[in-house]
Amino acid sequence: MLAYIARRLWQIIPTMLGVILLIFFLFSVVGGDPAYLLAGKISNPEQIANIRKQLGIDEPYWMQLLIFIKQVVTFDFGSSWSTNEVVSQIFATRLPASLMIGIPLLILETIIAITIALAVAYVRGSFTDRAAMVTCTMAQSVSILVYIIVFQYALAYKWGLFPVQGWGNGFFENLFKFAALPILIALVVSLAPNIRLYRTFLLDEVNQDYVRTARAKGLSENRVMFVHVLRNASIPIITNLMIQLPGLLVGLFLIERFFSVPGIGREVILAVERSDFPVIKAVTVYVALATMLANLAADLLYKAVDPRVELK
Amino acid sequence: MANWPLKRELRQRLATCLIGVVGLSGLGGLSGCWDASKKDGVTGVVATSPVKVTDGKKVVRLNFPVAESGFDPVTAHDLYSSIIIDGIFDTVLTYDYLAQPAKLVPKIATDMPVIEDGGKSWTIKLKKGVYFAPHEVFGTAKRELTSKDVAYSFKRHYDDSLKPVWRFLTDGKIVGLNAWYEAGKKAGKLDWDAPVAGLELVDSHTIKILLTKPDFNFGYVLAHVAMSVVAREVVEKYPNDVLSHPVGSSAYYLKEWVRGQRIILEKNPNWRGGTWDFKPSGKDPYDDVIVKAMQGKPLALIDRVEVYPIEEEQSRWLAFKNKQLDVLNMPSSFIKQALPNGKLSPELVAEGVRVQRLLDTEYTYTYFQWSDPVWGGSELHKVALRRAVAMAIDRDEEIEVIRKGNAVRAEFLVPPGVAGHKADFSSNVKYNPSLANALLDKFGYKKAADGFRNAPDGKPFAFRYTSTPTTTEREFDELYKKNMDAIGIRYEAEKEKFADSIKREKRCQIMIRGAAWIADYPDGDNFMQLLYSKNIGESNNGCYKSAAFDALYEKSSQLPDGPDRDKLYMEMQKQFEADTPWALGVTRYRNQMIHPWVVGYKKHPILLSEWMYFDVNMEKGK
Repeated sequence: MLAYIARRLWQIIPTMLGVILLIFFLFSVVGGDPAYLLAGKISNPEQIANIRKQLGIDEPYWMQLLIFIKQVVTFDFGSSWSTNEVVSQIFATRLPASLMIGIPLLILETIIAITIALAVAYVRGSFTDRAAMVTCTMAQSVSILVYIIVFQYALAYKWGLFPVQGWGNGFFENLFKFAALPILIALVVSLAPNIRLYRTFLLDEVNQDYVRTARAKGLSENRVMFVHVLRNASIPIITNLMIQLPGLLVGLFLIERFFSVPGIGREVILAVERSDFPVIKAVTVYVALATMLANLAADLLYKAVDPRVELK
Repeated sequence: MANWPLKRELRQRLATCLIGVVGLSGLGGLSGCWDASKKDGVTGVVATSPVKVTDGKKVVRLNFPVAESGFDPVTAHDLYSSIIIDGIFDTVLTYDYLAQPAKLVPKIATDMPVIEDGGKSWTIKLKKGVYFAPHEVFGTAKRELTSKDVAYSFKRHYDDSLKPVWRFLTDGKIVGLNAWYEAGKKAGKLDWDAPVAGLELVDSHTIKILLTKPDFNFGYVLAHVAMSVVAREVVEKYPNDVLSHPVGSSAYYLKEWVRGQRIILEKNPNWRGGTWDFKPSGKDPYDDVIVKAMQGKPLALIDRVEVYPIEEEQSRWLAFKNKQLDVLNMPSSFIKQALPNGKLSPELVAEGVRVQRLLDTEYTYTYFQWSDPVWGGSELHKVALRRAVAMAIDRDEEIEVIRKGNAVRAEFLVPPGVAGHKADFSSNVKYNPSLANALLDKFGYKKAADGFRNAPDGKPFAFRYTSTPTTTEREFDELYKKNMDAIGIRYEAEKEKFADSIKREKRCQIMIRGAAWIADYPDGDNFMQLLYSKNIGESNNGCYKSAAFDALYEKSSQLPDGPDRDKLYMEMQKQFEADTPWALGVTRYRNQMIHPWVVGYKKHPILLSEWMYFDVNMEKGK
């Protein structure tokens, strides 16, 4: 097991090099020149050249690439070009707000989606199952923007159930007061596709021979579904969950903007608007790294839930 | 009404308890419910009482539609950071709160500068008793602002390591300043203690600024937020991070800053004070109401200013309606809802909300690239082409559909509210597609088989409009396409990132693009310079070159505002219309929505922060 983990971690290095090259090409080679934005309303070529020098983008590409590799290795991406804030500080201060929405959302959506998927899989083919699937399809067809606008207007403004927007200081104040509506909206949006997906995973298992055997042995339907079917369907469910994990690092862009949540998603949008490459590069590298680690974690979990899986 | 916030609070608690109990552990849910119920909204963003009082302090809550970047006067290039800077730092001059058009008045100067030597010498006497806000670098003693600080603050714009963005305000204008910079560059380090001839420190509270040539508009530079006065000790303490540690001498200091979330300012404990003393402009009846309410009161009645960046328009609008914000610059998406037919909706009237509608000191324009082989140059057929296009663009439809009635057509090169504006002027270039077609026919732009016109040499050409891929720009694409179809000109939409457009623009590589210019200072010169050929690569984004216009501009820039300069401006306008290097666009309205408990507030067209001039009425809010 340890050898496997070491090997997988070792494989991260060439993958990261590929990611670094891609990011460098996208931002430093074809990504435009931020000096023109930072120069203000009236600037002359000399001032533009000075800004390029200060940012280090007047160096040859190979030198810029080496600097970037050093930044990735040391996890020191320098400072934001537009606000001068240290990039690591941006992550340290913005990530908690994003996680405060992302983590409860992931927990809630997983529990609720699996429960509903099990229920509809249990009554597969029935009117309830079909009605649930039609509802999910309809819910999936509506843009998240519509949910945000309608929920914010109706639940927060009109009925006063939640704050319209904002963020406070205390952990509990934020979690239960300000994050509640954003979580609710994100939950409504994510439930429909997850229920459909998990239902499919479960139905794939329901028709397997081992399920028939379990039923033939006289096991109760609850035991069949919750123990046998759910355990075997858990591998694709884990895969789906692990795919979503790195997303926690980038937050929920639209929700954070609408509800003025000072999270990383909002910061990423700002960084893109301002061509703030150090922040964009750092986010991209962190997400790539998180994806690789999440994949590794998923493989280890496969082994944990299904002893037949061999890690080679 | 009085009970409504309580009900709302109760419902919010119930909802959050429900979410807590259902979503997370029961214990967590209950503790969250308890925790939320303990909070009174003072530090959070949800307000339960319209007027906020924190520890007996009067609070005003405002918002920015874009997050701020930082508060160093030399490096801040966004409006919203500049607003905060204006509230924290002092400038030598400022603007009269009510005067129309905007009028310069002393801020830390005892009086207006003494201008001598035909506009080349500006002597400024500073007030005594102007102190910076307390900071550890000053120790326990109060640190007084002196003429040395003014000179130092001017010099900071030449520190390349800061990436200064406002150097153009003084570049080449002050005797010896550029030479001092060049000497520093050569030596590899700026010598901050070296004297500059043009920044003569007469005594601790008098500075004489010597200009390289007469400039009667230099007073506007002295009032510009970028020329705010900083203390050298603070800069040296935070050499590359003044933007996070702004320490000024104006009415407010930065109490708390959570980037992109909230900016909290409180009254500077060393604030010098002052008395509210302004006269009605005579052009706005509401000035009388303001004067009656505020005359003789001390300056800076508000103790605490809270600013929340809220990017989304719906969120801002609902926050204002929910009384979380006291003043709001009306988001354009909700204009029709809040101001049907340009008047406040009955719902808002019933709540006592007031609207202040003012034209911004700006305009938009569509420029044609002067160096483009098809569109640029002074040959008659090219002038005819530009004129025809300018006559084909339907600005009225733009105002009605895209601007939602929230703008007026720009007629003159100097917009309203700016010295040099001519209110009764009506441009000769009016919307007239039939005349535009006739003009194109006359100058040899014949229609080809595809129904679109070719150039007089028979080659096909297009109106290639460069813009960013946004919803509003797509609306412009639709409008311009329709307008160009009406005169048989092919339309091409070119989409790229804003930074790329600016880069190409400075190299005169964009064929046609829309731009906007908002006054840095309320003088016509700030707009006329946009067409001066020596500003190509800087602010003349269409790269227009006209010897006649240049000669007129050079003459006008030596004159103060007055009839002589107005005559020159009129000639420049004629030259502009003769050449048509741009199609002038619109001047947009700013609609400030103001809750009834905000007293004496009026958005100034130039002044960035008005916080020290208005008040909140506790009784009305309760």
